[in-house]
Amino acid sequence: MGFRFDLLLLFTTLALLSTTTPTVLSDVILSRVDRRIDLNSQIVRVTSTLKVENAGPDPVSEILLTFPEVQAKDLAILKATLREGKGKVKNSGSSLPVNVANPEGMPPSLFFHSVLLPKALGEGHSLTIDVLAVFTHALRPFPEEITQADIQLVLYQDTAYYLSPYAVKAQSLTVLLPKARIETYTKLENTNVHGSDIKYGPYENLPPFSYAPIVVHFETNQPFAVAQELVREIEISHWGNVQVTEHYNIVHGGAKSKGEFSRLDFQARPHLRGASAFRNLVAKLPPRAHSIYYRDEIGNISTSNVWGDPKKIELLIEPRYPLFGGWRTTFTIGYGLPLQDFLFGSEGKRFLNFSFGSPINDLVIDNLIVKVVLPEGSYDISISTPFPVKQGQEAKISHLDVVGRPVVVLEKTNVVPEHNQYFQVYYRFNKLSMLREPFMLISGIFLLFVAGIVYMHVDFSISKSSASYLAKLQWDEVRATIQQVQGIINQCLSIHEKLEASLRDLSRTGDVQACKTARKTADSLLKEYSKELKPLLSFLQSSPQATQILPKVEELVAKERELQERLIAKHSTIVDCYEKKIGGRELENRVASHQQKVVALKQEVEDLLDYIEEI
Amino acid sequence: MVASSPTLGWSGRSLSLLDPTYASKYIPIIASVSEHQPPTWPSYFMDINVLAFLVPAGIIACFLPLSDASSFVVLYIVTSVYFSGVMVRLMLVLAPAACIMSGIALSEAFNVLTRSIKFQLPGSSGTSQADSGDTSMSSDGEQNDIAKTEKMDEKAKERPSKKNKKKEKEPVERASVRSRIEKKLLVLPLEASVIAIILLVLLGAFYVVHCVWAAAEAYSAPSIVLTSYSPGGGLHVFDDFREAYAWLSHNTEVDDKVASWWDYGYQTTAMANRTVIVDNNTWNNTHIATVGTAMSSPEKAAWEIFNSLDVKYVLVVFGGLFPSAHTQISLELKEMFVDTDGKGFDRVRRTEIGKKYFKLTHFEEVFTTHHWMVRIYKLKPPKNRIRGKTKKSKSKASSTSSSKRSGTEAFERDLAEAWSAKCNSVRKILLSLPI
Repeated sequence: MGFRFDLLLLFTTLALLSTTTPTVLSDVILSRVDRRIDLNSQIVRVTSTLKVENAGPDPVSEILLTFPEVQAKDLAILKATLREGKGKVKNSGSSLPVNVANPEGMPPSLFFHSVLLPKALGEGHSLTIDVLAVFTHALRPFPEEITQADIQLVLYQDTAYYLSPYAVKAQSLTVLLPKARIETYTKLENTNVHGSDIKYGPYENLPPFSYAPIVVHFETNQPFAVAQELVREIEISHWGNVQVTEHYNIVHGGAKSKGEFSRLDFQARPHLRGASAFRNLVAKLPPRAHSIYYRDEIGNISTSNVWGDPKKIELLIEPRYPLFGGWRTTFTIGYGLPLQDFLFGSEGKRFLNFSFGSPINDLVIDNLIVKVVLPEGSYDISISTPFPVKQGQEAKISHLDVVGRPVVVLEKTNVVPEHNQYFQVYYRFNKLSMLREPFMLISGIFLLFVAGIVYMHVDFSISKSSASYLAKLQWDEVRATIQQVQGIINQCLSIHEKLEASLRDLSRTGDVQACKTARKTADSLLKEYSKELKPLLSFLQSSPQATQILPKVEELVAKERELQERLIAKHSTIVDCYEKKIGGRELENRVASHQQKVVALKQEVEDLLDYIEEI
Repeated sequence: MVASSPTLGWSGRSLSLLDPTYASKYIPIIASVSEHQPPTWPSYFMDINVLAFLVPAGIIACFLPLSDASSFVVLYIVTSVYFSGVMVRLMLVLAPAACIMSGIALSEAFNVLTRSIKFQLPGSSGTSQADSGDTSMSSDGEQNDIAKTEKMDEKAKERPSKKNKKKEKEPVERASVRSRIEKKLLVLPLEASVIAIILLVLLGAFYVVHCVWAAAEAYSAPSIVLTSYSPGGGLHVFDDFREAYAWLSHNTEVDDKVASWWDYGYQTTAMANRTVIVDNNTWNNTHIATVGTAMSSPEKAAWEIFNSLDVKYVLVVFGGLFPSAHTQISLELKEMFVDTDGKGFDRVRRTEIGKKYFKLTHFEEVFTTHHWMVRIYKLKPPKNRIRGKTKKSKSKASSTSSSKRSGTEAFERDLAEAWSAKCNSVRKILLSLPI
C-alpha cells in the first residue's frame, strides 16, 4: 500500500507546512466551500463552489487553487467560472482565465493554479467561484488483477478538507458513487452515507493546508475505455467535403483480467461474469455526417449501427471482441461532413471551426493528435484553441500535389469529453487554386497527346545518310505514288459508273444526244487521267523500291485501260444501235460479249486494287 | 539436396498433376484438401458457364486455318482442361484459356453473321450487284473460278519475290484471298443471321449477369466471413475468425507462437501477425503430423508436444452457436466438438449452454469468439512440484467422450458438412486462402 504511505507522508509534510508558513497568503478567506466529487464514471469530476472573501487591506486579483502531486498529474482540465447571480439563482457566468502558478516558498509536492479575477477584490468584499476539475486515471483498480467472476473494485483518494493556501471557514464534501457496493471508506467525524453518496462535513474554521486523507473503495462497472493514442485527421476539400478519419488505439483501463476467459459464462450471465467488460462505444457525430465507415487493419467490422436525427448522428460501434481489463484493440472510424457546416469566412480569411476531442462518449484519451490537412496552396495559417495545446506543422503529399498540403498538428495529453470545444484554424486560400489539379490533369493528358503527335511527325533518325534510312524514304515516296495511282484508278472507275448510268438513262428515255455528251466529257476526263498516270508510272519504273509492286500496278493500269476500251466499245455499240433503231435481241447479241468482258475486268481491277491496298 | 530427392524436388501437388492418384497414394494430406479434388460437372458450369459451350466452338474455329498461333491456343486449352480436371483449384488456369477460346468462337460467329448480313443488305456494298440479284448464284460460281485462277497466277508471281524475307506476309495474302472466296460461300439467310446475332448478344448479356452473381456469391463471399439470412430477411454475419485473429494480434506478445490446424496458418500469419507452427504450405507434412498428434492426444501429452514446439497459444476451431429465430441461443450444430486438445467429442444435441463437461489442467481458455467458432487456449506454465499431490486423471472428460476419432480431418469434414448445410455458404468453409 505504497500510495497510502505517500499520503501519510504528504499529510505530515503538509501539517508541518501549515505550522511553518501560515502567513503568506492569509489575506483571503474562503468563507464557504462545497465540493462534489462525482465518481460515476472513470472520469472523476470535482466541482467546488468557493466563496472567497478578502479579509486583508490589499485588493486581491488572483486566487490560488492547490492540488497535491498525485492529483496534479491526472488533472485533465481545470475551469473556473464566476457566479454572478446572488443567492440561489444559478447563473453560469463568465469563465475566468486559469494559469499555472508557481508561488515562492511552497513545497514542491504541491501544484498551484491561479484564477485571475475580472476585477480586484476589495477589502471585505466577497464573490463566488465555481471550479470544475476533471481527473483521469484517478480511480485505481484494487485488486489490480481480477478474474472474470470477480467484481471490479476501485480506490479513490482525496482529502476530506479542502486543500487550500487559505483558511477555510466552513466546508462540506459529497462523494457521489455509482449505485453499487461500497467496500470501505474512511470514516472521519461527521461522515454520513445516504444511499450511494458519502457526505463529509460540515467542518469549520480550518487553517490553511489542512489535509485529511480519505480513501473510498467501491465497485464500479462503468466502461474504462482509454484511448492510448488517437489520431484525428481532418481533411478539407474545397470541393465541398470535410473528411474526418480517426485512428483509435483503445485499452480497457480497469482492473486487468487474469486467468481464463469463459465465453460460456460471459454469455450466460453477463452481469455477473465480466460485468466490468464493455462491448460497445457510442460516438455522437455531427449532423449530416455521411459515408461513415468503421474498420480495422484486417477489414470492415460489421458490428456497428447508425441512427440519425436532424440534430446529431449516433454511431454505435462494437469492437470485434468485448474488452476485458487490460485488453486492447485498434480501429478506425471515418466520416464525411458538408463543408459549409464547418468552414466560414471572415475578413478575407477562411476558418475551420471544428470540435477538438473525440466524438466517443466517456472516453479518456491519453495522447490526442489532431491533424488538420488544409488544401494545397493555403497560406497565412494561424490557430486559435480554447486551451493550450502543442502545435506543429507538417506537409502531406496526396494525389496531384506538388509541394504537399500544409498540415496543422495539434497535440494534447489527457483529453476528456470536456475538451470537446471548438478550435479554429484560420488560413487564406485562393479559389483559383482549386482548378489547379484538374488543370494539371488536363494539361498532362494534352501534353501526352502532343508528344504522340510530335513523335509521329518528326524524323528522329540519327544518321540521315544510312542506306536503310534512304530506302525508307524511297519506300514512303513509292507508297505515296501508289496511293495517287489508286486514286486516279478509282476516279476512272467512277467515270465508268457514270457511263453506265448514261446508258441506263438512254434505255429509259431514248435521248441519244445526252448520252453522247456524257460520252464526250468522259472521254476527255479519261484522257486527262491517263496523262496524269504517265509520270507516276515512269517514277515507279525508275524507283528500285517499287520493283515488287510494279508488275501489279502495271497490270492494274493495263486492265483498267482494257476495261475502258471495252466499256467505250460497249457504249458506242449501244448508242449506234439506238441511232439505227436496232433493238431487242440484236442489241443484246452485240453487247453480250462486251458485257461479259466488262464484268470480268471490273472484278479483276477491284481485286488488284484490294491487293495493292493490302501492301 | 533437391536434386537427390526421388522426385527431383517436385512437390506432391505438382506430381499429382502428372499422376492424379499420386497424392492419394503417398501424401493423403494433399488429397484431403477439397481444393485438390477433381471438380464435378456442376462446378464447371458454375465457374465457366456458357464458356463450356463456346470453348469447343473456339477449338473448331482454331482448326479452320491452323496456324502456329492457333495451334498454340489449342494446346493451351487442352492442357489447362486436363489440369483443371485433376484439381478444382486449377480452374484458375482454365479460366483464361477458356476466355480466349470463347472469344475466338464469338468473334468468328459475329464475323460470319455480320458478313452475311452485309452481303444481303441491298445497295450497301458495291461488290454484289443490285441489278443481277437473281443471277448472283451463277455469277458467284464464275467469280470463284476467276478468283481461283487468279490465285494461281499470284502464286506463280510470288515465287521470285519470296526470297527477300516476306515469308510472314505470304500466309496473310493467301488467307485474304481464301477468305474472299469464303466470303461468298458462307452466306447465311438474312433472318437467321439477325436472329443468331441477337441470341449471341443475349447469351453474352446473361453471362455477364451470371458472372456478377457468381462474383458476389461465390468468389467474393470470403470463407473467413460467413453470413446467413434470418427468416425475416435480416443478414447475420459470422465474423468469428477475424475476431479471434484480431484478439491474437492485439492481446498477445509479438513473439508468441500459435499452433492451429494448418488450414488457418496463412490467415493467422497475415491477420494476427503471429508466428505459426504449420501453415497452408503443406510441404513439411511431418510437422503437420506432429501438430495433428498433439491435437488428438490427451492433454498432458499435447501440452508436452506443444511446449516442445515453443507454442504459447493453441487456436482451435470449435463449432459454432447460432442465434436461432427465437433470438434465444441454442446449439444447432449436429455435433459439438468440445475439445480437440483433450480426448473428447461431446455429442451435445439441442441442449442449452451452461454445461461444462470437462476441465483442463494444462491449458486455459483465454478467448472464445462470439459464435463459438474459434477458441484460443493458452498453455499454462508448468506447475511447481507439490509434495504428495496425486494427479487427478481427467476422468470426467474421458467419460463423456462417446466417440473417438483418429484425427482432426474427420472432424473438419464433419464440421464442413454441418456448416454447409446450415449456413448456405457455397463452399470452402474451413479452407483458407488459396496458396
